[in-house]
This record gives sequence, C-alpha cells and structure tokens, in this order.
Amino acid sequence: MMSKALEHLHALMTQSLVAWRLTGTVHGTNDGAILISCQGHNIRIEQAPPHLPFQWFVIIDNRRRPAISLVAVLRQVRSVLDPGYATMRARIAPLALVTT
Amino acid sequence: MIEALVLTGFLGSGKTTLLAHLLRRPEFSRTAVIINEFGEIGLDHDLIEASEESVIELQTGCLCCKVRNDLATTLHDLLRRRDQGSVTAFTRVVIETSGLADPAPILQTLMTDAMIAGRIVLDGVVTIVDAVTGIDTLSYEEISVKQAALADRLVLTKTDLVGLTPLPLIGRLRALNPTAPVLSAQRGQIDPAHLFQGRLYDPLAKSVDVQSWLRVEAIPQRCAHQHQDVNTYAIVRRDPIRAVTLTLFLEALCEHCGADLLRLKGIVNILESPNRPAVIHGVQHVFHPPSWLARWPSEDRYSRIVFITRSVPRGWVNALLEALDAEVTAVSA
Repeated sequence: MMSKALEHLHALMTQSLVAWRLTGTVHGTNDGAILISCQGHNIRIEQAPPHLPFQWFVIIDNRRRPAISLVAVLRQVRSVLDPGYATMRARIAPLALVTT
Repeated sequence: MIEALVLTGFLGSGKTTLLAHLLRRPEFSRTAVIINEFGEIGLDHDLIEASEESVIELQTGCLCCKVRNDLATTLHDLLRRRDQGSVTAFTRVVIETSGLADPAPILQTLMTDAMIAGRIVLDGVVTIVDAVTGIDTLSYEEISVKQAALADRLVLTKTDLVGLTPLPLIGRLRALNPTAPVLSAQRGQIDPAHLFQGRLYDPLAKSVDVQSWLRVEAIPQRCAHQHQDVNTYAIVRRDPIRAVTLTLFLEALCEHCGADLLRLKGIVNILESPNRPAVIHGVQHVFHPPSWLARWPSEDRYSRIVFITRSVPRGWVNALLEALDAEVTAVSA
C-alpha cells in the first residue's frame, strides 16, 4: 500500500506525462517507490529517510540524485524525458498589483 | 498612481475609432495615448483628436517585439515631461497596440520596469472584436485568440452591421475567456463606466472588487473551456494554503508552463494569514508580489485561482497543488 506522499507523487507524475505530451507508464513498486518508464528511460523515485535534508531520491538510468522537493523532482525528470525543455524562472515585479 | 489601459484587438477591429470616441469624453480628458502601428506610414495618429504632445506614435515595428524597449523609453520620457509640466498632468495612459501585437510582453513591461511600475498601475486589457469578421478571425488568426484570452474586458464593435446579436461569436468569446465581460460598442462608442467593469481596483470608490475581477462563477465547474489550444479553468480550494506551498506552486508553474501560462489571477486563503487574503496575478512567468487585502470581501473564504493557459491541463495543475500541499504539510509537521 502506497503512502499518502507516494499517492500524490504517482498522480503528479501521471499528469505530468500528459502535460508534457509524453507516452509512458507510472506505477508503484512493492518496496515503496514510483517507477516511470518513458522515452527509453527508467526513472525510480523514492522517499529519502527522514534524517536527510532533502525529501526524495531520483534514480535515472541507475544514477541516483537527491531532490529537495517535488519541484526539484519534476525538474530532474523532465530534463531527462523532454530534451526540448528549457526551464523558465519566475520573475517578480517590483510592486504589487494594487496597494491596499 | 497613473492608470494604464492596454487597448488591443486584431487589425481593423475598430480600436482607433473607439479610442477617438473615448478621448472626447470628459472622463478621458487627462489621458496620454501611445499608439503603435505596424507599417511604414502611420495613419491612426491622424485619426485621434487630442493634444498633440500627449499622443505618441511608435512606428518602428510591432509593439510586442521590436519596440518593447521603445515602450519603456517612451513611458519614461512621458513621465519626465509630465513632471516638468511640459505635458498635461495626465492620470491615465492608453496604449493602443498594433493589430498583430501579443499583449503579454506589453503587460510584462508595465509590470517589471521599476520606474514604470512605481508610477503606473495596470488597469487592464480591453480587447476589441469585430462583430462581422471576429468569428473568422478567431478561427484563422492565432494572435487574435491570445488577444481575446488575455482580456479583462471584451468589446464588440460594428454590431450595427450584423443586425442581430452575434451569438456564435459571443459564445466563442465566452468559451475562450469566461471571466471577461463581453460589452458592445454602438458605432464605436461605449460608456466608459462599462469599460471599467471587471477591474480589480476602483480608484473612485477606493475599493477592491475581487469578485468582479475573478468572475469565477462564469466558469462552469465540471468542464474547462477549450478553444483551439487555449483553455480557461478555475481551481477552488476550501482549505487554506501554506505560503511556502503557494511559492513552490507558482515556481513550478513558471518553470514548466512558461509562455503557455497566459494569465493567472486569484484570491488565496493563506494559512499564515487567515484574515487577510492574498491577491495574486501573473502574466506568463512574471508575477506581481501578492497584494494583501485588509479583509475578506465576503463570508466565502475559499481560495479561487483562475487560469488562462495554452494547453496546460487542469489535471496537472490540480495534482501539482495537491502534491506540494501534502509535501509541505508533512515537512512542517
């Protein structure tokens, strides 16, 4: 049975493949991880132990990297699956829309 | 603060005619106008009756690309001349774009230039749609779809030429942008009071009208509107959202949607600020810092965020917010 966090991750990765217009599969493993098969890559995402300063490990084609949050997980996964992906950073305007 | 109104619409839709009528109204007497024409010979400038020094024409190209810097430079110059007293102390700037312009970069210029943003506040985008040719234009001209999708108000012109109310066109506009009121100009004329419907801040009443600005009730709950590849939907949440969750959510949206996030606006119940909701607004990857309202506008304390996107699935946006919320909650516990 998947933890709540993995259930959310599973849903997010499934929806992400749709959003990125990629065909692949996302499923939970018996040892409590998420496995993505897409574009010839196998990506395994597992929760980091609680004493570590990051939340996830992303293992892409046997290379293991930490990810501090789901935002980092998404960035790592998409960078591999979507070669045309160019990240765009948020830019904050100097002033609020209205002064209240 | 000086209000800026961006007036856009496809070629021949009647922007200049509408503007010419507006400038004759007393409410628009202290208005500076910036007109952008795409072409070598500018004509629109000659059609506007206003004091010569408060009408500026940008002719070097389409406002959304080549002369974006020119817009900032022109606004700086206009403000300097206002301060020196060499032009009327205008209280409003109308920026009429060329018919081929993408309004998004223009909004970003108004939002991000430190000097402009400190003195000029975006009042909204008014998109003019030709009642005769609008439905075909929306079918064949992608930029016209974006102009309509980004609008705060949509104004139909030439309705006298079609006789009956152009219901198919109105239906397509409402499908494309359900949050923008669809207004009608009679022979190029419209009551300015109607034109200011749907703005966030009313400087006369000195109040914020979030309901009118968001118009979430205009978006059906069960299905997102889809027009070509533009879709509009609202995310509604009962539970408060942590400030960190909202930050990560907006960061991920910018990273993965970029230019496809045409516009986002919303009122958010922040867990750490239960009595003062945050108003958020973004155009593509550029966001205003949140505005904190003094109080909730009604008893309804649900967060409501309206998305106008190009092919960004609602399911992904929902899953992203849910997953980030769960992660931040777990870390905070």
